[in-house]
Amino acid sequence: MLKLIGRRLVQMVLIILVASLLLFVIFDTPQFKKRLAVQELGGFAVSALSEADYQEWLASRGLDVPFYQRYVDWMGNILTGDFGFSYEKNTEVGPLLASRLANTGILALCVFALMIPISLTLGVLSGMREGSPLDRSITFISVFTTSIPEIATAIILTVVLALGLGWLPAKSAMIQGFDVKQLILPVLTLVIYDFGYVARMTRASMAEVMTSQYIRTAVLKGIPYRRVVMKHALRNALIAPFTVIVLQLNWLLSGVVVVEVFFEYDGFGKLLLEAALFPDVEVVQACTLAAVVVAVTSQIISDVGYTFLNPRIRFS
Amino acid sequence: MPASKDNERRLHPKAQEAHDLMERGRLSRREFIRVAALVGVSAGAAYAMAGLPDAGYAQDSMLPFPDPEGDPVAGGVLRVGMQIQKMEDPATYSWVEMSNQTRHILEHLAFTTPDNVTRPMLAERWEASDDLTSWTFYLRQGVMWHNGDELVADHIRWNVERWTDPALGSSNVGLSSISALVEEVDSGEKNDDGSPKMVKVLRDGAVEVVDSHTIRFSLSKPVLSFPEDMYNYPTAIVHPSFQAPFSDNPIGTGAYTLTELTVGDRCTLKRFDQTEAGANFKYWGGDVYLDEIHYFNFDEDNQLTAFASGDVDTIYEFSIEQMELAKALEGNIIAARTAQTLCCRFQITQEPWTDKRVRQAFVKAVDNARVKELVYPDGGDVGENHHVAPIHPEYFALPPLERDVEGAKALLAEAGQENLDVTIDVGNTDGPWHQTVCEAIRDQVADAGINLNINVMPASKYWEIWDSTPFGATAWTHRPLGTMVLSLGYRTNVPWNETLYANPEWDAALDKAESLLDVEERRAAMEAVQGILQDDAVMVQPIFRPVYTIVASRVHGYPAHPTQYHQYNKVWVES
Repeated sequence: MLKLIGRRLVQMVLIILVASLLLFVIFDTPQFKKRLAVQELGGFAVSALSEADYQEWLASRGLDVPFYQRYVDWMGNILTGDFGFSYEKNTEVGPLLASRLANTGILALCVFALMIPISLTLGVLSGMREGSPLDRSITFISVFTTSIPEIATAIILTVVLALGLGWLPAKSAMIQGFDVKQLILPVLTLVIYDFGYVARMTRASMAEVMTSQYIRTAVLKGIPYRRVVMKHALRNALIAPFTVIVLQLNWLLSGVVVVEVFFEYDGFGKLLLEAALFPDVEVVQACTLAAVVVAVTSQIISDVGYTFLNPRIRFS
Repeated sequence: MPASKDNERRLHPKAQEAHDLMERGRLSRREFIRVAALVGVSAGAAYAMAGLPDAGYAQDSMLPFPDPEGDPVAGGVLRVGMQIQKMEDPATYSWVEMSNQTRHILEHLAFTTPDNVTRPMLAERWEASDDLTSWTFYLRQGVMWHNGDELVADHIRWNVERWTDPALGSSNVGLSSISALVEEVDSGEKNDDGSPKMVKVLRDGAVEVVDSHTIRFSLSKPVLSFPEDMYNYPTAIVHPSFQAPFSDNPIGTGAYTLTELTVGDRCTLKRFDQTEAGANFKYWGGDVYLDEIHYFNFDEDNQLTAFASGDVDTIYEFSIEQMELAKALEGNIIAARTAQTLCCRFQITQEPWTDKRVRQAFVKAVDNARVKELVYPDGGDVGENHHVAPIHPEYFALPPLERDVEGAKALLAEAGQENLDVTIDVGNTDGPWHQTVCEAIRDQVADAGINLNINVMPASKYWEIWDSTPFGATAWTHRPLGTMVLSLGYRTNVPWNETLYANPEWDAALDKAESLLDVEERRAAMEAVQGILQDDAVMVQPIFRPVYTIVASRVHGYPAHPTQYHQYNKVWVES
């Protein structure tokens, strides 16, 4: 087990090194530097700058040294907790990243808190009686909601619940501080989009388990059906959904940019998008770092959890 | 002529001339007021001379701000939805939003009010020489900076010299007034083609500090719009101790100071009442009512829904596509007819636009009126590819443009470009209607055999290439005069000349138009200005659009300015 975790951590470090190096190379081009100058000083000012003035500006931003030197400096700074400075937002990247990660964490927590019970319950109910009207209904709803893009769900919910009925705020900018009501629409949007997928995975897994021989044996032995499901079927049926659910962390971190931008929710995905468009180089680099860490960590959790849940893997 | 303090002092001959023209029916009363105010007559006196009430302004007021609406209540916070941007250097600002964040802290020499009349702001008054080549500004006494210093003429000199520093790259150099203060000199560097790189520097003697509160500008050509130029958004007056970024040390003369700026999140302004040294700060501009102004970051697409949610009291703008939603909300919709526009412009030094026939062919293949009808069916004006709008006072009505597909094909054949395939860069910097305009143009030019590709990019990316792309769709904001925007954008070698248009004949025609006061004569001169530019076919410009915003009913005295400049001196909110 420790070997597995160690291997994953080494992989994580390698991925971080390669991804960040690639970003440094890409952002080192003269075009990107000029783009940064335009954002910083304005297009007219840059076009009017003499070459000497431009070089002076590059030096003031530390962009006049070769990228590998900056890369080494950057890695050194990261190790001391300094993630750099955001040109666009005019602030330190570390606290900015931390606050955005926290916001997305809150969003993810709410989504999980709602989505996991719903999808598992529906998936299990559906898989227990494959082909029944209940199974067909749940399958239809799951496929239907997952098929609707998040942006469409977000618009429909906003029009009905916020603009039409006036029950909920339309935006989640939290401009007067944290307000749980402002989380409802983005959370609902994500749950509606995602629960169907997990429910379908759970259903498939449950249906497979329910047709296996040991379940049939248990039923024929006269064990109550409820006990068969709860004690024998459920644990095995949840192995596959567990992996899927843990991997949703990645999606919730950087894949919900549409929802965050639509609702003006200041999360990680929105930050990454804004930084990429600017281009706010050090923010993009820090975000990439965070995304890789979360991706590999969720992979490790998934692997470890899978091992614990599946005795065949554990004992082998 | 009615007596007033101004004409007792000295009535500029141009004001007298304008008055005579008005009496003979050759100048509208509104235009007379604008011109008289420009040459130094107080707005109140100008209104009186025109026989019109100075609606909203006390007759004896020396302040440029209107009387407050109703019974104002002091206190409260105004919440505004707008994009929150950096506040680096006001002289190089290129977004109105940046200037709105700054406008409550920094002020201008003059203030063009929504009635298109320019009133003195930091200046108490001004005088122009008879030939409009010398402008003397008299500053208000007792205007205090936030650090306790008094505003003096030397501070204005310092600002103007700074604007003309080639190393700064301020767009102010393109203004008619400032361009008449500078001269071109060899920078010592070379252009890509080996020719000397010329830069514009301040002429010796162009700016003269007469005394502590008087400053004189000597221009190389007559310019009527000097005071109007002084309200262009990059002309805010900063303290001589200024160092970018402004947000780090926001010393101004305005009634508010910056208490928080988080780019992309919020900008908070608070009433300024005490200097750092503890001295009381008395604002020169009379009573202001809001305790605080809070700008919250909302992208333009989201601003109206933020208003609907009650997150904000007003917004920067909503688009035409959102009008039905706006009508369904509680609030006052404010629509302003403007000269804001979209220029689908060619950079005429890049292929295939170096060939005038190709440009003319493209322009001929487009039906501007139809494009306008499709995109802005209600409101707005049809553009005529010369960047002068029908609401500009000097607009000359050229014959309506006719779409001529066969003519376009013939020109393309003559130029050897029968299968013209071009790409336009679009940043939707003012909203998705930019893209809609380009799509309409694409469908129309297809009839002439032109294949137009539309390259949509993020707004921020577009602003990086707006002045270098061969073919781009650039938004231009409202300016009170057509000549002002032409000076900024089409004169040879000015910073904002994105078409790289360089035509001495046209420059001379514009100089002539700018020197004429008689609107009929100026309009006649504009025939050449507009005609040459239209014939040289540097852009397709189908629309002058209206702008919309919405204000909650608890907000009073909210000004509807066509430039979308926020000046909240007399705005108040119900508790």
